Amino acid sequence: MSLLPRYLIRSRPSIPSPSLSFRNRMLHTSRPLQAETRGPVDPPPAPAGAAPHTAIMDVVAGLAEGPVVPVEDASVVAAEVVSGAPHELQLRQVRIFKPTKSTMQSAKGKTKRWVLDWDVLQGAGRWENPLMGWASSADYMQGTTLGFRSKEAAISFAERQGWDYIVSEPKVAKIPPKNYANNYVHVPGKLRIHHTK
Amino acid sequence: MLRRFTAGRSIARRLAQGQAQPARLFSTSQPRKADITLTVDGKEVTVPQGTALIQACEAAGAAVPRFCYHDRLAIAGNCRMCLVEVERSPKPVASCAMPAMPGSKVFTNTPLVHKAREGVMEFLLANHPLDCPICDQGGECDLQDQSMRYGSDRTRFHEITGKRAVENKDLGPIVKTSMNRCIQCTRCVRFANDVAGVEELGTTGRGNDLQIGMYIEKTMDSEMSGNIIDLCPVGALTSKPYAFQARPWELKKTESIDVLDAVGSNIRVDSRGVQVMRIQPKINDEINEEWINDKTRYAYDGLKYQRLTTPLVREGDRFVPASWEHAMDTIRHGLQSSGAKGDEIKAVAGHTADTESLVALKDFINRLGSENLTLDQSLGDAPPVTGVDVRSNYLFNTGIENVGEADAVLLIGTNPRHEAAIINTRFRKSYLQTGAEFGLIGEDFDSVFEYDHVGTSPSDVEAFLSGKAVKGKGKGENDFARIWKEAKKPLIVVGSAVVEGKDGAAVLKAISKHVLANEKKFVTPEWNGFSILQRAASRAAAYDAGFTPSPTSTNTTPKFVYLLNADEIDPSTIPENAFVVYQGHHGDLGAQFADVCLPGAAYTEKSSTWVNTEGRSQLGRVAVVPPGASREDWKIIRALSEIVGSPIPYDDIIQLRQRMWDISPTLVRYDVIEKPSLEFIKLGLQLLSTPPSTTKAASTTPFKKPINDFYRTDAISRASVTMAACSKAFTKKEYDIASVDEAGSAQASYA
Ligand code: SF4
Ligand code: FES
Repeated sequence: MSLLPRYLIRSRPSIPSPSLSFRNRMLHTSRPLQAETRGPVDPPPAPAGAAPHTAIMDVVAGLAEGPVVPVEDASVVAAEVVSGAPHELQLRQVRIFKPTKSTMQSAKGKTKRWVLDWDVLQGAGRWENPLMGWASSADYMQGTTLGFRSKEAAISFAERQGWDYIVSEPKVAKIPPKNYANNYVHVPGKLRIHHTK
Repeated sequence: MLRRFTAGRSIARRLAQGQAQPARLFSTSQPRKADITLTVDGKEVTVPQGTALIQACEAAGAAVPRFCYHDRLAIAGNCRMCLVEVERSPKPVASCAMPAMPGSKVFTNTPLVHKAREGVMEFLLANHPLDCPICDQGGECDLQDQSMRYGSDRTRFHEITGKRAVENKDLGPIVKTSMNRCIQCTRCVRFANDVAGVEELGTTGRGNDLQIGMYIEKTMDSEMSGNIIDLCPVGALTSKPYAFQARPWELKKTESIDVLDAVGSNIRVDSRGVQVMRIQPKINDEINEEWINDKTRYAYDGLKYQRLTTPLVREGDRFVPASWEHAMDTIRHGLQSSGAKGDEIKAVAGHTADTESLVALKDFINRLGSENLTLDQSLGDAPPVTGVDVRSNYLFNTGIENVGEADAVLLIGTNPRHEAAIINTRFRKSYLQTGAEFGLIGEDFDSVFEYDHVGTSPSDVEAFLSGKAVKGKGKGENDFARIWKEAKKPLIVVGSAVVEGKDGAAVLKAISKHVLANEKKFVTPEWNGFSILQRAASRAAAYDAGFTPSPTSTNTTPKFVYLLNADEIDPSTIPENAFVVYQGHHGDLGAQFADVCLPGAAYTEKSSTWVNTEGRSQLGRVAVVPPGASREDWKIIRALSEIVGSPIPYDDIIQLRQRMWDISPTLVRYDVIEKPSLEFIKLGLQLLSTPPSTTKAASTTPFKKPINDFYRTDAISRASVTMAACSKAFTKKEYDIASVDEAGSAQASYA
């Protein structure tokens, strides 16, 4: 089973759905920050035998050197337990990808960051509102995309939230060296093309 | 990867030069020479020799504005927007037309450069109409963006005669022109010449009077024409079906996979609300580079029409809308009352069935005790002649990326232009750049490269491959039989229609024998010259999943038929009194025979796996929700299996994909091609070369093209209005060139 690709393994197979009473207690809107609970400087004590990890927020805050090493240990509390996010969100696989350059324009804007977003929800994702013909949605995630500087950051975020994710790797563009002189190279044999430029 | 690719090519080229062959060895990709180092904006950068300066600047992270330069086209050097300053050069230099020189110092951000860019912008805008608010390019226009960034903020335009006015051209139902806006970058011309093979699109006149057009009044008849809309950096060429429909910033962009042919082109689905507004290519150099064909691009309006939105149950001679429960229950009744047992339960998988639903349907039907899993093709009831045990026997083993390396290509019973337009552009590229030679056994077609027509029928294949000199019919310039013998990297492309045909086994036998006899050339660690070209998006996945009938099931008369997206079905294969279920997204041919129709999702509405003809599995994405009560296909099958009383054991998509992993790991290893070992490939070929003794000898019946109308090949494109217009204009050649300028009032020729 260890050969299984990552996206076929659930991020957190054993998280039980938070019971209603549990969630009722979580009424505050701002969730405790990792930095608040742990103190920003001291890294949390790693459980015995666990590999050391680097929290993304510490890297972002310049408190630790990159790269981010995600927490591999499921016993470390995941953000989902305290985030107050609806349990249904845990059931949706997120996509992590790097948008490809638009073919309509030459410039490469918006292709440098990694994006995490959700698939359109079947059924409740969008419908045409009968009153005005506008699009309505019951999916609170339909307009949300998260941007990250690196793939690792996106993955570790998803893992801490307990989201199943799937990563699509970007394709490298393979552009051969180009040369103006090639327009004028003599080709022996029959002419295969008549340029009309 | 790039390194290996070019190195391989250059070796082939050097080898070829050693022989005194009339090799045509020119290419836009120079053989890789030593690297050179130069300085761009104070930053050192190392690039291969022969690189254009603009590429070197890009490698150094400096943005150089451009209009005419395009990564995948030849260099023109006529817009002058890419001017940069080079040390010790008296004038600014057009960086796209200038090779990078070792040790030179380049500046892309100096007052001189700024002034030069501003000047170029001013010249370009002097004759550019102030159309932006009503121009479809608005929001994704290079000219707009670059004039904001590099242009001047005030005008010196006081021309009494006004701006230049150019007559619009009518290029057909796809490309809308507004030639006043053209900045004469000639990207469209270069694309048409080099990639699409339309050598009529060109320029007339010089300087200010230069015009782009077809020379004579004619449509641009190419299956790739939509790409010039993307290439045009301004709004001179825009999309007719999409005209005034949306602005780019309103669109939600979803990267997905195309399923209208078996190439698996990467696409970006742009949607607004519940509608797909347009489809754009997604760049993937391993498959479609930056292009997609017109069917991929414009069949999307078919997703709006003829849809099944609610389950339908036949009552007498009409369909009555029903609830899902009622429809499912009717199927349960139908299955029981039809009395179908074992192989009498038959499933047919169509061209656009996704892998998840194929696997679910296979498990479901198997659970009902049947092995009768057939494919929607001629002779689909019988086990495929290629077998499904060895993957390399039914896949395009060469790989789309590598077809350009072949020096001689033999096409057997296929028209790549219609069956895989993207692969066809690669053929044209190698025809022009590396001098590949082509031969065809099969029906003639209107090709964008020259080929030698060396036969028409299965027996001609045998004759040609066994070396019995078949004289070329003279379309090509050379004797293809001789070229074929001397080829270093020969490639045989067998069309899917051949494999599905009556003579499939015999033809494959002849080919595999030939391949095994010339093993050193055909099957090496770097090269596999035996390829089957599939044309249906679901076919490779169906073979991978083992969605094929058992030898015994072929002869049973089905009493219960499950059609999954099967719209090419031959009505005679459905018995009169059988209970028929159709699951699919369009009310096309298959639905007409159904007793119950179950509405599924189209490819833009489900996140499913597709395996292309190379055997590369890719994951599509949901762009919009399925309309009405329709549902994702595998979920329908899952629900039905529960109602019928033998539930298939997976509840969500991850479990289903784990099941797919169990069947074949290649199905869920996305974006990569699994290469089989040489021994395995040879084993497969040996299997093909020893078909069962019942195999008949190859006949002399000519091969037939499976696709006669490129624009109408599946349920989606048949429902599309744009595709109907294209079919009329390009296939039937019935298009009245409208005099575009006479349509409204005369265009203003004053400022
Ligand atoms: S029509 Fe567009 S692509 Fe063609 S030359 Fe004019 S500006 Fe360039
Ligand atoms: S991009 Fe260099 S001249 Fe046009």
